[in-house]
Amino acid sequence: MDDRTPADPPEPLAPRRSLRSLELRAALLLVFMAALLTGAALYLMWARGAFEATQPLYLTTDDSEGVVVGMDMTFSGFPIGRVRRIELATGGTVRIHVDVPVKDAHWLRSSSVFTLEKGLVGAARLRAFTGVLDDPPLPTDAERMVLRGDVSAEIPKMVADARDVLQNVDRLTAAESALSETLGELRAFTGRLNSSQGGLMAAVTGNDQDARRVGELLERASQLVKTLDGVVQKADRQVLGDKGLVTDAQATVRQLNALLQDVRQSMLRVDAVLKDAQGVAGNAREATADLGDLRADVEGSLRKIDALVTEINRKWPFAPKEKEVRLP
Amino acid sequence: MPLMTPGVSLHGWLLDAGRGALRWFAGWWMVLFIGAQLAVLAFSPSSYRRDSGAVVLRQIYQAAGPGLPGFTMLMALFNVVVIRIVVVTAFAYGLTQYALDAVVRVLVLELIPLAAALFVAVEYSIPGGSELYKLRRAGDFEAMRRQGIDPLGREVLPRVLGGVFAVLLLAAVSCVTSLLLAYVAVHGFTLAGVPSYNRAVGHIFNPVVSLIFTMKTLLFAVAVALLPVANALRDIPRRPSRTSVELQGLVQMFVLMLAIEIASLVGNYY
Repeated sequence: MDDRTPADPPEPLAPRRSLRSLELRAALLLVFMAALLTGAALYLMWARGAFEATQPLYLTTDDSEGVVVGMDMTFSGFPIGRVRRIELATGGTVRIHVDVPVKDAHWLRSSSVFTLEKGLVGAARLRAFTGVLDDPPLPTDAERMVLRGDVSAEIPKMVADARDVLQNVDRLTAAESALSETLGELRAFTGRLNSSQGGLMAAVTGNDQDARRVGELLERASQLVKTLDGVVQKADRQVLGDKGLVTDAQATVRQLNALLQDVRQSMLRVDAVLKDAQGVAGNAREATADLGDLRADVEGSLRKIDALVTEINRKWPFAPKEKEVRLP
Repeated sequence: MPLMTPGVSLHGWLLDAGRGALRWFAGWWMVLFIGAQLAVLAFSPSSYRRDSGAVVLRQIYQAAGPGLPGFTMLMALFNVVVIRIVVVTAFAYGLTQYALDAVVRVLVLELIPLAAALFVAVEYSIPGGSELYKLRRAGDFEAMRRQGIDPLGREVLPRVLGGVFAVLLLAAVSCVTSLLLAYVAVHGFTLAGVPSYNRAVGHIFNPVVSLIFTMKTLLFAVAVALLPVANALRDIPRRPSRTSVELQGLVQMFVLMLAIEIASLVGNYY
């Protein structure tokens, strides 16, 4: 330190040169530091999109939980926007201001759908989906609804449902439960089934005597079936044999068929008669019409006679006392 | 020996505690006062005229130049180890997307400024403070004052500026190295990951975090550069403990750095 105090004698030439070199290096360090800081600041600004043209997009939702300023909005896993601001809008909804770089804005179309997903682990994710890329592009300052998918919100409901299910299972498996009793009965049944006395019949009927009776019943049923078989054979002969019922029935049917033919011919004749009657009725209708004309003529003649009688009465000179001509 | 009454003992203890508190306040006041004087000097152009400017430049080089390659190499090695541990662990647990975030937050935001400040303190500030203390005890300051030279501007200010600059430079270089190493560790030697990496770094360094990071590094630098120098300019009363004056100054510096670190953590994560 003493060499830097002003009380020292003048420094020799070589150390002075080395001092100049030190100062030069220090100046270089200063310049390097300034360049480093400026570069770092510019890089951070560039990385945060300060030099990027963006277009605003407004997303509305009813709950902004999980949304933070600066979070990315992704499209197919690639970040294409950044949340700039979150604010409460009129009506209590949340308005999320997203800056979308203009170079990425073509991925968003007027039919795009936006979702806010919140999983059990990790931060919420704001995602955009575009189904039809040929739709018109999303306009600037567009406002869209966000569809929410919250797994954690489903958990309380799921837990309540699970609790109900577990209670039901508990009730089912309790010692006094119906299922337990049924299983007990089933166990007794299989015990009887596996026992050497009676087997399945004893298990079904409950005791050996009944099982024996069932056996007898089966034998009798077998005999009955044999008897029935004989009866059926006899009936078959009587019904389907050469002189059986069916053969007679077939002959009867044939006769009936011939009878029906006769009836049809009779009916045809009756039909012809009816046609004739119809012609007579037509003639009678025409005669009736002619009678109407005749009546009109008679009425006209009578009116003329009436007028003639009136005229005669008026001009009748021979019987002034009795001016009326009496018609018979 | 007569027994002391409890009242007298309590009185003595209170008296000692009060004196201790007063000394503590006086010590910090002295540090603050010297800091204020140095700030005034640092912002006055007369401190950088021909002779004084040369002294400042020399101190800056002595503070930052010799230690820069060694510290950068050491930190690069440390960074590689820590980045590898974090990345491998994140891969193992399927949390790859958080690996870069964790690396940048742990190394760049927290460890590197602290390491740079401690390195400069041990390598430059504390020996410089000891040297100043010896100069002052030898009466050199008085001699300078007699010649019309302000020892604060000629001897103290260059050391403080050198210390501040050294911390900032070492931290900045190591941060850049660490960011590059983190990129290589996560993506390998390819440029394919540059856009996503830039986005992730931009995401981490939001305005609040950047401001807190800058303020913290600056406060570390000031604390490391100022405290040993300020302690050299005052007579620290010897405590009953056997620790030396330098060590007491070091502990004081550590306490201050811890307070700054805690404040930055509170600002970043609460």
